[in-house]
Amino acid sequence: MAKMMGPDESNSFGVRVAKRLGADEAILMTVISNERMERFANSSVTVTKNVKESGQVVYLAKGGRRIIGSSSNPEKASLERFIELLYKSMMTLPKDPGYVALPARGRAYSPKPSHDKKLESAEGLLSGYVEEAIESAEGEGARRTAGSLEAGVTSHHIMSSTGTVGSDTSSRILLNIRAFTDRDASGHGLSCSATVRDFRPATAGERAGSHSERMRNARELSEGGKTYQVLMSPTVAANLLGLVGEFASAFSVEAGTSYLADKLGKKVASDSLDLTDVGKAEGCLDARTFDDEGQPTQSTKLIEGGVLRSYLHNLSTAKRFGTKSTGNAGLIEPGPWNLEIGRGDSGYEEMVAEMKHGLILTSNWYTRFKNYRTGEFSTVPRDGTYLVESGEVRAPIKGIRISDSLERMFSSIRLISRDREWVQWWEVDNPTLCPWLLVDGVTVTRAYGEGPSQGG
Amino acid sequence: MLLDEYKDLADFCVREARKLGAEYAEARIHGGKGTGFLLKNGEPQPSMIDDSFGIAARVIVGGAMAFGATNLLSRERVRDLTATTVKMARSSARLVKEPIEMGDSKPATRKVNVSEKEPVEGGDPNWLKSLLLEIDGRVVGSRSDAGGVKIPNRIMVASAGVEEKYIVTSDGGKVESRVPRFNFFGIFTALKGGEAAQRIIQQGETGGLEIVKRIRLLELVEEETQTLMEVLGEAGKAPTGMMDVVLSPELSGIAAHESVGHPQEADRILGREGAQAGESYLSKDSLGTKVGSEEAYVSDDPTIAHSNGYCPVDDEGVVSRKRRLIVGGKITEFLQNRSTSTLLGVKNNGSSRSAGFDREPIIRMSNTFVEPGDYATTEELIKEVKDGIYLKSFTEWNIDDKRLNQRYTGLEAYRIKNGETTGLVRAPVLEITTPALWGSVKGRSKRLEFEAASCGKGDPMQGIPVWTGGPDTLLAGVRIVGGS
Repeated sequence: MAKMMGPDESNSFGVRVAKRLGADEAILMTVISNERMERFANSSVTVTKNVKESGQVVYLAKGGRRIIGSSSNPEKASLERFIELLYKSMMTLPKDPGYVALPARGRAYSPKPSHDKKLESAEGLLSGYVEEAIESAEGEGARRTAGSLEAGVTSHHIMSSTGTVGSDTSSRILLNIRAFTDRDASGHGLSCSATVRDFRPATAGERAGSHSERMRNARELSEGGKTYQVLMSPTVAANLLGLVGEFASAFSVEAGTSYLADKLGKKVASDSLDLTDVGKAEGCLDARTFDDEGQPTQSTKLIEGGVLRSYLHNLSTAKRFGTKSTGNAGLIEPGPWNLEIGRGDSGYEEMVAEMKHGLILTSNWYTRFKNYRTGEFSTVPRDGTYLVESGEVRAPIKGIRISDSLERMFSSIRLISRDREWVQWWEVDNPTLCPWLLVDGVTVTRAYGEGPSQGG
Repeated sequence: MLLDEYKDLADFCVREARKLGAEYAEARIHGGKGTGFLLKNGEPQPSMIDDSFGIAARVIVGGAMAFGATNLLSRERVRDLTATTVKMARSSARLVKEPIEMGDSKPATRKVNVSEKEPVEGGDPNWLKSLLLEIDGRVVGSRSDAGGVKIPNRIMVASAGVEEKYIVTSDGGKVESRVPRFNFFGIFTALKGGEAAQRIIQQGETGGLEIVKRIRLLELVEEETQTLMEVLGEAGKAPTGMMDVVLSPELSGIAAHESVGHPQEADRILGREGAQAGESYLSKDSLGTKVGSEEAYVSDDPTIAHSNGYCPVDDEGVVSRKRRLIVGGKITEFLQNRSTSTLLGVKNNGSSRSAGFDREPIIRMSNTFVEPGDYATTEELIKEVKDGIYLKSFTEWNIDDKRLNQRYTGLEAYRIKNGETTGLVRAPVLEITTPALWGSVKGRSKRLEFEAASCGKGDPMQGIPVWTGGPDTLLAGVRIVGGS
């Protein structure tokens, strides 16, 4: 078997091959990851996983043409053949109107290591945390649990023909646990962190177990199509505001798949909402110092005081919008790294007390859009969901759907909590530091028809 | 085949795992090559070429399962991978309360090779670019009778590639496959003043580049975008109330996938996906339960030639077959893999699929559809409706994680009066429980059509190619809510 190269050797070799072929520009990015996962269901481990990957992303440009390749073969001859194929394919293409030259002088990145070395090999760590989470959920009344615990380290190594060189390593540990007391009574908890130090499996388990107990005998709303005040947990708010972060991509704006199109400088949310994209900051799960074009990441205020301040850009979209890259490449599509929602000044109890006729939502899934251009969507709450009347939590609720528009909803924020949590799980791709949000006038619907016991 | 050079690594992996004490071992070399091209508002974006291969190892030790994967394909790395995977299984055994067994499903020795008339290798960036530019030209050239409607935003991706696998199991399975595919995905946004309407088009099949002509891709996109302009320009207010509804093949298909296929996946029923994709409103004792009318028939068939979900042998090496999920309104079968069929004491129907070398095989649908019925044409079915709605395409949809409470918002939708479609209506919403939907099925047409989709499940997430489909399906007396 031929020799496999390390990331720096692989990048350096790839850039040399690209130059030899005649490319004007080349970027080689090698991404190395080591992920371990333990999944459990019915409070029993169902599978343990370990995936070790090393992949290269190759960007070539020549005479205004561009091409991107991704290969998982770090062997020298294979990488050379792959770059030759890319170059040959690129030269059959016409000039790309979106082409923008890389800055003439590259940058060197040597960030201080900030990842948790304990997560480089999570062997022996995971089982203990899974047991801790399950026991905590069962201690709160859960009859069974299901979930996954994932821990890993990812490093990005970049080199470009213009002299950019650097590497960056991030770590994360994520627990997602769901507890059940019966078929309709479930609760959800999660804990995610860049370090073991800030990881709280027992808290996640307790939260899931507690909701599963409180959701016993949940009832349906008597009718749908009405509006409610909705108190969203950080998990729910992170799902919806994470989508706002994706809509802030200049690519989405150009593609007609963003309700934020034509709204720079305009009000798109309540005065109290601040939404910021952060490349690297204390506690970030997916910390990145440089983007896929080798530009430095930064902190970009997307929404400030409810006003849309910026889109997310790579070099190509920035040129068309007459601005500078925000360091969010994606070679084709810029996107968020980590999102932070500004804290408010309310406590949870104070927010519940403020609710006259509302619902508390602790988890949701399956958010889908009727129209990305208008931001009209629906999403399905699940797990702990509670009816609140005159500031008192009255009853657990099941079988509802939120059906609204993102802009209308986030323009009706009444209160934001002081406390925030990092959220990343199945329904939240980008790590998001998120508070509780109390939102007025949210449309809640329910399905026509009976459940399985009466139907058919 | 490129994977020829790696096959011995898979055989080596299984031998090593057995030597190290695994009761069961399975190795899969899995990967492929593909090219994609993206056109945004008529402007080419950088082309994308992918080349990815790796090995997956799955073992059972003491009833505990472990999965390991890497793209580092040397003998030394595979030896390490195997040892680590066996060790992981052994060390997690103390937390396993329900031991995993692969049962007596007999894995196959088989080669699967999907033929191409025009090889996908011909789908290079330049070919894909030309195809998308031609489609874009047709969309831009479309004229609407509804004044002032335009489609300024058009995003399209076309891709062509080959997926290759070599699967070997410690109990004699040896399956090799080569499956070429062509896929198209587009989002089209029509604007008129401050109003917008959007259509997502997804098409995909297994085979060569002849797919483009076979599915009439250019004509299909042109017709759909023309309709989109008419929807924005002409659709009136949809009624609200109880009425009959005719679902097109597109709507029948999504309903079959979401509220029949998913809840009848045995791993969901047994709770394995509880924390992410969810569970099911059904239990392991639901076989024979009536959940629909006598006209409700839904199947899943991985053996349909050219289909997007074509998978005649699954990723546990088991020969697959058509699954009759609902027959005459009764649940007749769940989708099974080796371990769930063993646990439930039923015959395995080969539903295990994996999205790539770095993903474990789990229970998946293939091509899920409402079975065609007796009505000769769509029009004949519509004649049965005095006052109702014909839902021809949809935009937003979702369903709860037990697959009981679903919603489909119509895009191209018509009012039916006295057995005939009248005008377009805007965004009627069908929000209905699963028993209410399948319990209201009164008739089905003969035409059977399919749409391509990518189905998401698992942790980490796995998107897998499927078809959803069916005939026109008449639902009697369901609630529609008029949208805006």
